[in-house]
Amino acid sequence: MKSYSCGNTCTWCDGCGNYGIWAAIKRSLVELGIPPHGVFLCYDVGCHGNMSDKLSGYRFHGLHGRVIPFAAGAKLANPRIPIIAHGGDGACFSEGVGHLVHAIRSNYTMVFILHNNANYGLTTGQASALTWQGQPMNSAPNGMPEATLPSMDFVFSLQPTFVARGFSGDIPQMVSILKAAIQHRGFAFVDMLQACPTYNTFATHEWLLERVYDVAADGHDPSDFVRARAIAVDTSERISTGILYQNTAVPGFYERLKSREGIQTFPVEEVQKYDVREYMQELV
Amino acid sequence: MNRISLKVTGAQGQGVNSVGEMLARGLKDAGYCVFGYREYMSLIKGGHSSYQLDISDAHIGSSEQMVNILVCFNHHGLERNIRDVKQGGIVLHQTPDWEWNTEDARWLQEHQVTVVSLPTEQVLHELKAPPILGNTFLTAVVWSFLQQDCGVLESLLRGRFGRKGERVLQMNIDCLQKACAYVASLEKAPFVTLPATNVRWSGHMLLTGSQAMGFGIIHAGCRVYAGYPMTPSSPLLSFLADMQNRTRMVIKQAEDEITAVQMASGAMHMGARAMTATSGGGFDLMTETLSMNGIIENPIVIGLAMRPGPGTGLPTWTAQGDLLLAVHSGHGEFPRCVLSVSDAQDAFDLMPQAFNLAEQYQMPVIVLFDKHIAEALYTQEFYDQEHTVIERHLPDTAQLQELQGADRYAVSSASGGVSPRWLPGTQAATYCAQSDEHSGDGSSEEGAQNASAQMDKRMHKLEALAAQLPEPELFTVHRGQISEVRNAVHPEVLFLGWGSTKGAVLDALLELTSDNSSLIAGYLHYTYLWPLKTDRFSLLSQKARQTILIEGNKQGQLGMLLRQQCGIDIPKKILKYDGRPFCTDELHELLSQFISPTSG
Repeated sequence: MKSYSCGNTCTWCDGCGNYGIWAAIKRSLVELGIPPHGVFLCYDVGCHGNMSDKLSGYRFHGLHGRVIPFAAGAKLANPRIPIIAHGGDGACFSEGVGHLVHAIRSNYTMVFILHNNANYGLTTGQASALTWQGQPMNSAPNGMPEATLPSMDFVFSLQPTFVARGFSGDIPQMVSILKAAIQHRGFAFVDMLQACPTYNTFATHEWLLERVYDVAADGHDPSDFVRARAIAVDTSERISTGILYQNTAVPGFYERLKSREGIQTFPVEEVQKYDVREYMQELV
Repeated sequence: MNRISLKVTGAQGQGVNSVGEMLARGLKDAGYCVFGYREYMSLIKGGHSSYQLDISDAHIGSSEQMVNILVCFNHHGLERNIRDVKQGGIVLHQTPDWEWNTEDARWLQEHQVTVVSLPTEQVLHELKAPPILGNTFLTAVVWSFLQQDCGVLESLLRGRFGRKGERVLQMNIDCLQKACAYVASLEKAPFVTLPATNVRWSGHMLLTGSQAMGFGIIHAGCRVYAGYPMTPSSPLLSFLADMQNRTRMVIKQAEDEITAVQMASGAMHMGARAMTATSGGGFDLMTETLSMNGIIENPIVIGLAMRPGPGTGLPTWTAQGDLLLAVHSGHGEFPRCVLSVSDAQDAFDLMPQAFNLAEQYQMPVIVLFDKHIAEALYTQEFYDQEHTVIERHLPDTAQLQELQGADRYAVSSASGGVSPRWLPGTQAATYCAQSDEHSGDGSSEEGAQNASAQMDKRMHKLEALAAQLPEPELFTVHRGQISEVRNAVHPEVLFLGWGSTKGAVLDALLELTSDNSSLIAGYLHYTYLWPLKTDRFSLLSQKARQTILIEGNKQGQLGMLLRQQCGIDIPKKILKYDGRPFCTDELHELLSQFISPTSG
């Protein structure tokens, strides 16, 4: 764990779910034997993004809503390096929702952690698409008129290859989820339910703690798409956590590229002067 | 220089491009420099489109507005384009029983235009050939009127249709023979005499600006290209995509332009050479990412293919309206480099340079081009690949071991604001590419002193870059020749431009100075537009009797930038913003107004 530590002091509120997620990320990387120089951690903008300088490793902290395509581009350039991208529910289901759709469709081999605290924390508590309908929030004293976006149903409708749900209060489970996600072939969507003690007064740490259960302990088979979708979507009484669905038979985007078949090198290793004489000859 | 121009018009999808390309290929092979220019509308079938070829024994890089030969696939060309025909020119058409209105008939007579009605339908009927073969018949008729050897065209047809089976090939050959026989049977065939051939052209390539750029991109070692379709950047995406199984590049059609530029940025950050290209509207979407690359000091190359805006504008036409966009876009202040392609030569040459500059200075490089360049057809010699150097400016293994995370954005670095950049995944100290204002290792840092120091560091790179970039190129034109740059010679009339305007300006000046042997004209061409070099311009404009700005936009954007940077205003401007490129004859007329003795 020490190799991932960093001198900067955390700036999250007391009781913020990011502390647990932060610990779980470092632990999962250490347990997988990945050194800091062997990983690329990409952060969107939001409270979670303030993790970008609170740990070691090659990191990127970019624009709001755009972390997925940057991370995907990095992956295409160097598929050897595991990539973990982070984004909040604001960035992922409003500003950059198109990127999520196409990342799942493209099945880029990378982990995406949804820091899901059901509000815009860093901009002081506005409603996100995942805030409960009618919940009074900053800038929405009467609550949002729109229905809450059914995020899990939406994700499952896109034929994902890996869907998990973690809870920021359960570090060992997050570690086991993240290790599987990092090793997954394809796009691993990890919904991390996290407490926001300052702005989320509805789905609090305690509220979540009372409802979460581990699907593995319940005997859930992660290859069962229909069952996985059902337990992911129905959170009316209990909230399923753990690896909900995984399909390892679908190749990642890079693996599907005909242009790359039979090549052992990766684009980062191929930057050199290319001779185009043969192509020029064809245009005479 | 002798030049002949020929315009083929018809509905989109009718075969206009096919005829244009066959003729271009044949004439280039025969020993002519050919310049091709396409006009079409933003739709797939129907519409009115044209393919113009300008043909010369000497190098030409532009079209004429008025043509020697007009070929009309349908009556729309007869209605709309006959006023594009020069005095003594020829109109070929295949619309049976066409009758001119009185006004047009008089115009044609006054201008001594010969009209030939071709029996295309009848020939196809006799050969039981499908309508598409009309293209071959038309091509062959034009070919014969140009007094070219039918055998050459036959071998071209064999090359083009040989793979499509014996029957298809034979029908094409039959059409060719019918056409030759038809022309031979005419009592008074309106033959056109081309200048003498020059064998050097036959060994040249015939390629579009998009292909030229594509070659440059491949040659530069770009391994990832992400794009989203938008005219006129789409042909580049298509070309690179078509080449991917040979170049083994990763080509990604992204879900939008923001994705395209973010993916390219991510790939470049990781250490591949990566690129995206788009047009104005797509570029607008990319500008937040442009700014981000500014602060994380990430090299990125973005092609910006201009078409007329604002809004959707004229999607399939050309413009130079996005210079200020390229220079000023993106929030906050950050350094960038803006280059501009002008023809098929620097479309290739600038690409390795763009990547080298991006990596050397760790900043975005925007490469401007336009619809005219993207789709024009150039007769181009083989590119010199020998002298290309790939400069990555990355630390070696020993240097990597010495690095601390805080070196990444270290302000103390003495090298003109450029601090060491090393790639994620390398065994070295790690850092954060931080879009928040940051300290050396990319930790978020909001202190006042640090904010100023980091801004100074980044902007300092512009000074070093400006010192490295060349001054604009001066073409001194005298007695129909472009002479070497001689600093001692100060052109009495100085023209100023950038981008695709170059071809038409130089062609016009060659003609103008042939007409006026005492004139020494200068054309100062800006390839490197930001940071903007102004010393040579200041000097030359002070010495010149007059300075004239030529641009394809409404405001004279280069002129605005020059005034901003060196305080010199250029009141005399030739500006065009109708979606059409400058043409040689049009410029000849406009420029001569400035150089006639009375205009002093």
